[in-house]
Amino acid sequence: MLRNTPAFILNPLQALGRYSQLLFHAFGAIPEFGTYRKNLWEQMVRIGVESLPIVMMAAAFSGAVTTVQTSYQLVFPLIPKGIIGAIVVPSMILELGAVVTGFILAGRVGARIAAELGTMRVTEQIDALEAMGLNSIGYLIVPRVVAGIVMFPVLYVAACFVGIGGGMLVGDLGGFVPIGEFVDGAREFFQPFDPLFGVIKSLVFGFTITSISCFKGYYTKGGAEGVGRATTQAAVASCVFLLLADLVLAVILL
Amino acid sequence: MKYSNEIKVGVTIILATVVFILGVRYFEDLPLFNSTYGLTAEFDNAGGLIAGNIVRVNGVAVGSVNAVYISEESGKVIVDFHVDKNIPVTEGSEAVVAGFDALGVVRLELKLGDPNVPRIPEGGLVSGLNPGDLIGQMTERAPEMMDGADRVLGQLEGVLAEANTMLASPESDFRQTLRAVQGSVDEVETLLSEERERISDILGNVDRLTADLDTAAGEDGEAVTALMDRLNTMMTTLDADLESYSATNEQLQEILRKLNDGDGTLGMLINDPSMYHRLDSTLTGINALVADFQNNPEKYLKEMKLVDLF
Amino acid sequence: MISVQQINKSFGQKHVLKDVSLDIPEGETLAIIGRSGSGKSVLMKHIIGLMQPDSGRVFVDGVNINDISYAELRRVRQHFGVLFQGGALFDSMNSFENVAFPLRTFTSMNESEVRNVVQECLSMVELEDVGLKMPSELSGGMQKRVALARAVALRPRYILYDEPTSGLDPETSNTIDELIKNLANQLNVTSIVVTHDMHSVLNIADRAAFIYEGRMHWTGTMDELHKSKDEILTAFVTANEYKIGV
Ligand SMILES: Nc1ncnc2c1ncn2[C@@H]1O[C@H](COP(=O)(O)OP(=O)(O)OP(=O)(O)O)[C@@H](O)[C@H]1O
Ligand SMILES: [Mg+2]
Repeated sequence: MLRNTPAFILNPLQALGRYSQLLFHAFGAIPEFGTYRKNLWEQMVRIGVESLPIVMMAAAFSGAVTTVQTSYQLVFPLIPKGIIGAIVVPSMILELGAVVTGFILAGRVGARIAAELGTMRVTEQIDALEAMGLNSIGYLIVPRVVAGIVMFPVLYVAACFVGIGGGMLVGDLGGFVPIGEFVDGAREFFQPFDPLFGVIKSLVFGFTITSISCFKGYYTKGGAEGVGRATTQAAVASCVFLLLADLVLAVILL
Repeated sequence: MKYSNEIKVGVTIILATVVFILGVRYFEDLPLFNSTYGLTAEFDNAGGLIAGNIVRVNGVAVGSVNAVYISEESGKVIVDFHVDKNIPVTEGSEAVVAGFDALGVVRLELKLGDPNVPRIPEGGLVSGLNPGDLIGQMTERAPEMMDGADRVLGQLEGVLAEANTMLASPESDFRQTLRAVQGSVDEVETLLSEERERISDILGNVDRLTADLDTAAGEDGEAVTALMDRLNTMMTTLDADLESYSATNEQLQEILRKLNDGDGTLGMLINDPSMYHRLDSTLTGINALVADFQNNPEKYLKEMKLVDLF
Repeated sequence: MISVQQINKSFGQKHVLKDVSLDIPEGETLAIIGRSGSGKSVLMKHIIGLMQPDSGRVFVDGVNINDISYAELRRVRQHFGVLFQGGALFDSMNSFENVAFPLRTFTSMNESEVRNVVQECLSMVELEDVGLKMPSELSGGMQKRVALARAVALRPRYILYDEPTSGLDPETSNTIDELIKNLANQLNVTSIVVTHDMHSVLNIADRAAFIYEGRMHWTGTMDELHKSKDEILTAFVTANEYKIGV
């Protein structure tokens, strides 16, 4: 029966199965803290701390652009300018902060993880780890995924902070809305659940991006070309599943 | 050197946590470092109040609403909220839901009690005021008010037009004309003094309702919109009438001046300047009010949050 | 004691190992020879459980390693040192850290003990000075030797060498051969050496196993190799341009 199932159905199913299996193994390796402790710190620095500048830059620009664009779209003169703040702040907190960070990390972190693990696979470094008696999944994948889950919310907070700050600053300097009115408007419509939702979202994004990239990298086949393929696939798949997760979370939680 | 990764990560995470907490408190409009304390209030109707709405005392934001839910026992609306620790929410303080639900700008307004009595303890109950359905009342009465104002103004205009016509006919007997003028002016006078009370009543009503509007926004957004439309129409009418008024008024003054200067025997009007003054002051009063309304609509509209409507 | 029993392995349509059986007693040095692509590296990976046979079994110290939990398999693997064909150095670490990695991971040595052992291992492969160099800064042969130092750092009971001397000059090759011999003799290590280099085979091996077209074509001691009349085997051996027995 399986033989007659077309490949375009079978391949994704097989991939999903192997992905789940990998996650299952990784989950089982979590208690072996000693295996990945050192790597965890390193990955947290590489995924989290070192991504801060680029994430903050992108967030600052998207916050500024959102402010300018919102004030451009609100042409009716009687609308209080504070509305700009009431639109920019939730946009940043609910969507932009996490998604901008997500896309940047999908490119920056996702591609790097896949390339690293892919190279280790094709040069037998993963085999070498295994041959020593080390749990390669615990050693390589757990710290990356955990670092993603822990550091992504940190990056999200930084993105929101800088994005809202950038929006305020550009709004004020560009003469669109004074900072005071911006803040008042934002406060008027502020929901404490929004930042919580953003953090949940960024946790999920962090997991999605790192686990998919680890999966693509860990099962790389076919030399340098395979590494290239895995890298591209990791970045693309991370973005696609990030958007999917975004939608699912919005439907479930909002 | 060996711990540098750990330190980098730790510092980053701690910074992010601090920024997150302070940021949320900042936009919740809570004091960044002061602690708060929780209180509860009970209402018949939440009027659209939701978690996250601001709590204000005398127009100053001092906290926010944690949760709004229906009590299982009483079926009443329970509102949990917190305010800055420094705010003396004493016994006798009252809470009222204020703002426009239709615009999503609802908040909890606290009226503080006597500062000399003890505070309501943490988690204690602040009595909730349930506003009457003032909007509804006002909406019902609006057409009536408008009709009244219209009628008065229409009559005034008619009278003045009559006076005008009489003056325009040079053949008519002067005395007769004067008598007619006098009669007309009498008529105007009575009419005005009669209607003036009604006008001031109406204006008083508008005034009170305007003041109430701020606190009494009910959940019926459509009624509010309808009311605003009517107020708008009234403004336009007043505006139109005002122009003919000031024209007529000038003519009237012209007549009176002529009478005054031209013939000393025409004592009636001269001997009774108070009538003229009353007429004049009444007209100026309306004039000023309407002009004010026209020039500074925000003054009235701000009260009613009309601006937010657009 | 390692025992490979009738294993078969296919990759897709390609049947790489066909009914391969092999016994390696404790302390023996076995050379696995065969043409390129005949399945030597695949066989080696089966011995440490990096690949699962389609059928057949692999026993290490009497334990069927295809029939135990992952945790147990990892304990078995800790008795092994493996030199991969491409070296497989961790390219995120320098040479010193590569050699130190198993020591730091599996022993409770302090830093100065680790440094001593690493230095000793690096000097065994005549690379005392490359500790701070990254793998990408080393020549292929140097990478291979650092990888060898890493494989022997824990003094394992079994060492698998996949072409330890390929890409090395004759002199260094001799050094490596001596090292393999010394480890085998002094520490009673059981060694499996995959190689093309008949000179090495004759120098270090107790026995040889010849894989031909995926089958275990011939096994025997060095003496038997000298005397063998097997055409395929002698063709392979003489292709190395070494005159047997000279
Ligand atoms: N992971 C794999 N997937 C598919 N085929 C493989 C895989 N590994 C090895 N093969 C195939 O198995 C055969 C044997 O490969 P192996 O690496 O064992 O050769 P070898 O005897 O070590 O050759 P060499 O001396 O060149 O290293 C080759 O034809 C190779 O194509
Ligand atoms: Mg090989």
